[in-house]
Amino acid sequence: MRVLVVEDHKELAATIAVGLRREGMAVDIAFDGEDALRHAAGDSYDVILLDRDLPKIHGDDVCRALVARGTRSRVLMLTAADAIEDRVDGLGLGADDYLPKPFAFAELVARIRALARRNQAGRGPVLARGDLRLDTVQRVATRAGRRLELSSKELAVLELLLGAGGAPVPTRELLARGWDEYVDPDGKVVKVTISRLRRKLGDPPLIETVPHNGYRIST
Amino acid sequence: MTIRLRLTLIYGGLFLCSAAALLAITYVLVHHQYTGAFFISSSRRGLVTVTDAKGLLGVSPSPKQFPVPIGPKTLVTNGKLAIAAAQGQSDAALHKLFVDSAFALAVMAVLSLWLGWVIAGRALRPLRTITETARQISASNLHRRLDLAGPDDELRQLGNTVDGLLARLETSFEAQRQFVANASHELRTPLTLERTLLELALSDPNASIESYRHTCEQLLAVGEQQERLIEALLTLSRSQRGLDGHQPCDLASIASAAAAAADYDVLAVHTTIQPASTTGNPRLVERLVANLVGNAIQHNVEHGTVNLTTETREGRAILTITNTGPMIPPVELDRLFQPFQRLDGSRTTSHGLGLGLSIVRAIADAHHATITTDALADGGLRVQVSFPAA
Repeated sequence: MRVLVVEDHKELAATIAVGLRREGMAVDIAFDGEDALRHAAGDSYDVILLDRDLPKIHGDDVCRALVARGTRSRVLMLTAADAIEDRVDGLGLGADDYLPKPFAFAELVARIRALARRNQAGRGPVLARGDLRLDTVQRVATRAGRRLELSSKELAVLELLLGAGGAPVPTRELLARGWDEYVDPDGKVVKVTISRLRRKLGDPPLIETVPHNGYRIST
Repeated sequence: MTIRLRLTLIYGGLFLCSAAALLAITYVLVHHQYTGAFFISSSRRGLVTVTDAKGLLGVSPSPKQFPVPIGPKTLVTNGKLAIAAAQGQSDAALHKLFVDSAFALAVMAVLSLWLGWVIAGRALRPLRTITETARQISASNLHRRLDLAGPDDELRQLGNTVDGLLARLETSFEAQRQFVANASHELRTPLTLERTLLELALSDPNASIESYRHTCEQLLAVGEQQERLIEALLTLSRSQRGLDGHQPCDLASIASAAAAAADYDVLAVHTTIQPASTTGNPRLVERLVANLVGNAIQHNVEHGTVNLTTETREGRAILTITNTGPMIPPVELDRLFQPFQRLDGSRTTSHGLGLGLSIVRAIADAHHATITTDALADGGLRVQVSFPAA
């Protein structure tokens, strides 16, 4: 899952990013409205965490611009203003959710996951294929009832593959949605993560390589 | 008693008085004419004609004639009889005039009260509009205005005055709202950071003494930042409250002390100090000068300059501070003095709290000092604060 954090308070942005990366998300940071729109141009984010009081372009205008573009990304507005009118205004602009500062980090993570799930219509918090189950909220994967020790990156890749429901997921997309912008663009990291994941998932093998077209979960 | 009722009674009372006076005058005049001389003449047909001095009797256009027996002996007797008859007639006419006038007066009094009620209502209608609209206007719909139509009279002027007051209130409420929104952002963002840092440190599966130490250092830095912010907010609020007393303030020594205490490395700070004294709160004036000097140093260019001068001119104690620095669009100048406004529009804390110049303005206002700001053509700012000289 890929998240863009738009927050002009640099330390807060960096701290949120650290926390979200620990939860297995790929996180990029933008410090102002212009930067946010530039980052979001590729539309590769599942969720955009948008502070409302931003320099250069106000958060409200960023939200409007994103909605006008018909973005796939879900927008979670963060703001210090917590009056009911402010929340209603924020949601009225097209934001998908609204979280007033200061918030509990666990709630932020839960909301981001809930928003990301909305992109896959009808998908519950638990993804399953055969005897493999992935609880995307608890971040726990089991195979035949046995818990798998997966790193957050491996969990993220597994979630993307399971979420595609057996359809092939191109390496490029895994890279775009599972890693942040500073990753090597050659896809070697994807290969390494997939091979580790295959080893941890055990037999019979569940991840298939689709020649020239990435990977998929076998049926 | 409402103004409308009072006006109606005044209209009605005045009408009643003047109408009664008019009728009284008419009555007196008529009465006077009846009691004047009568002229008696006889005609061949045996009629005696009685006329008053003007040839008229009462309101009748023709002379009154009274049939009497004809004969030379009877003329005088007949004349007396005629006079008596005419007297009786005029008494009756006067009585009728009195009764009719009283009736007419009563009818007109009622009519005038009703008309007075209607006219007072019309005249006071704008007042009712003002009252009703003013009742409906509260802090949430201060954008509403009375917008009275009609001639430019006293009530319209009152309406325009109230509109002007509402406009000033709206501006001030808006500024207040903006201030609260900005202050809550500035206060809640570091709170969020503190909470997130703590939660992440507690939930870190790979936590070590080192990572805890790092988090503690970060938290301390955030705490210090908040302390400075709260201190600045309190100073702002204290200076907005006005001055408790006026003590002598030596602007010259305050300025030299501020220049000496300023923290800078690659800048050149020049001072031209001439005597300048004012009165007020010396601590607040020190804060004003320190904020201006700090601002001039912070928003400067490498190897730039800061010039600080004090002087007394035309009964004013004047402090001028000029610095080299980035180009500032003249339209941005006023914004700089508003709370939480920073030149680059950011809130990034490395560039101060965004309250320094607001505090300068509040302190200047409290001391009845005026601030003149000019953006210099090749970048930088010139700020002049003119205090009343002591």
